[in-house]
Amino acid sequence: MKIQEVITAINQMQADGIIGHYAIGGAVGATFYLEPVATLDVDIFVTFRSDPGSLLLSPAPIFDYLKARGGIVEGEYIVIGGWPVQFLPSTGPLVEEALAQAVETVVDGTPARVFTAEHLAAIALETGRGKDKARLLQFVEAGALDAARFQSILACHGLVAAWQKFERQFLSDAP
Amino acid sequence: MSFDLQKILESKRTFRRDLAARPIGEKLRMLDALRERELAIRGRAAHGDSGILREESAPYGGRKKAE
Repeated sequence: MKIQEVITAINQMQADGIIGHYAIGGAVGATFYLEPVATLDVDIFVTFRSDPGSLLLSPAPIFDYLKARGGIVEGEYIVIGGWPVQFLPSTGPLVEEALAQAVETVVDGTPARVFTAEHLAAIALETGRGKDKARLLQFVEAGALDAARFQSILACHGLVAAWQKFERQFLSDAP
Repeated sequence: MSFDLQKILESKRTFRRDLAARPIGEKLRMLDALRERELAIRGRAAHGDSGILREESAPYGGRKKAE
């Protein structure tokens, strides 16, 4: 069971022209900046290549490509190296920007593209489930965020009020 | 050993900082191990034939209404 295999497969898929840009998000993405964050699956955000003239984005080429190379389809996931991997399209301006500004890093000699810490934190705030809030708190407590950059993203994507509420709930000593 | 809560919390913070500072390759191998452990704890039989555990998909981009 190896995430490294997932990264290698995705790099190859990109090199073969099946996907455009990709970036690792979710808990695996957060692990690039924090202590390991336990998770059961891998979220890969991708720019899908749509057929000319079609407005529909389909993950079928990704699944077909990976199935032909030993991947096993499990519902909306495809299992690579023992890990269920979910491919996610850009769901809005924030994720779109995060994909465009993702950074490349090297994992044991293999390049990997991952969201910035500030975008991961902003996406966690926007998504807003309990575990997303817990992750956001981890980013804050670890001092992993560039405050100016984070605030700029929040302002740009209408998340300032959500952040102020989060601050009141979790970062304020006042009751 | 003591039960000084402040010391315990500081020790935890230090441990988390140390983990965060490790090379990413090592941290990803820890994720592999954590997931193996999760699978072992939950048991494959309780999760269908495949044994693949999944998480609830995140509603990315689905911002809540302002409260």
